[in-house]
Amino acid sequence: MKARVLIADDASFMRQMIREIIEPEGYEVVGEATDGIEAVERFDELQPDLVTMDIVMPKRSGIDAVKAVIENHPHACIVMCSALGQETLVMEALQAGAKDFIVKPFKPDNVVATLDKVLEKTDEHGGD
Amino acid sequence: MALDMAKYRNLFLEEATEHLGEISVALLELEKDRASVESIDLIFRMAHSIKSMAASLGFDSVTEVAHHLEDRMQEIRAAGSVSSPEELSLLFRGLEGLEAMVAVVRESGEPPQAHPDLVEALSRPVRSSAAAKKKALSPR
Repeated sequence: MKARVLIADDASFMRQMIREIIEPEGYEVVGEATDGIEAVERFDELQPDLVTMDIVMPKRSGIDAVKAVIENHPHACIVMCSALGQETLVMEALQAGAKDFIVKPFKPDNVVATLDKVLEKTDEHGGD
Repeated sequence: MALDMAKYRNLFLEEATEHLGEISVALLELEKDRASVESIDLIFRMAHSIKSMAASLGFDSVTEVAHHLEDRMQEIRAAGSVSSPEELSLLFRGLEGLEAMVAVVRESGEPPQAHPDLVEALSRPVRSSAAAKKKALSPR
């Protein structure tokens, strides 16, 4: 069965790029969010198998959004999208419950491998 | 897997142009209120977004300037305000530099030339408001 993915990023450029990388690999993008508040709302509404979450977003940061999602869905599968120089923020997100991270600029093979790995682990341990 | 980079170059031009417009408005706001948290945050986020898009397309010179502008905004956010008119001028220089680089991409489709002077200026430590005031008051 296709894994259902929510993409949270304020940049249309990045949302399209992630979609274009993962859809041919069998992932189904079920929704997009353009800020941290929308990411939390869309998660509640769509209950996706996995979220790609940008760290820097308007209204509510990706890290705050992770905390809010994890509070209601402790096994949520969230992969952070980070950039050069965001190591500390990535650590904070992982401590808040994100499962892994991918780094911009995206390397398509790495993105898919990371998502596959995270979902595999979630299947092993039983998801939300 | 090969992505259609021409499509992403067009998206970059669209989004970067929008972001630079937003940075321009935010800088004008900072001229009126140098402690405007919303404007400082917005410039930080826009610079971050331009950096990520440019890095994805291999426009290293744009990435470098946007990265240093983003870092500078982070320091300004920590300091609480833009310390002086000189600091604000430097931020306007950052904006103009990015606008010129995006124009090169639009006209030629090629990566713009590096901008070492601007990168160097944006890399200098941010002075706090108190230090900037002290310097302004000190006898020359």
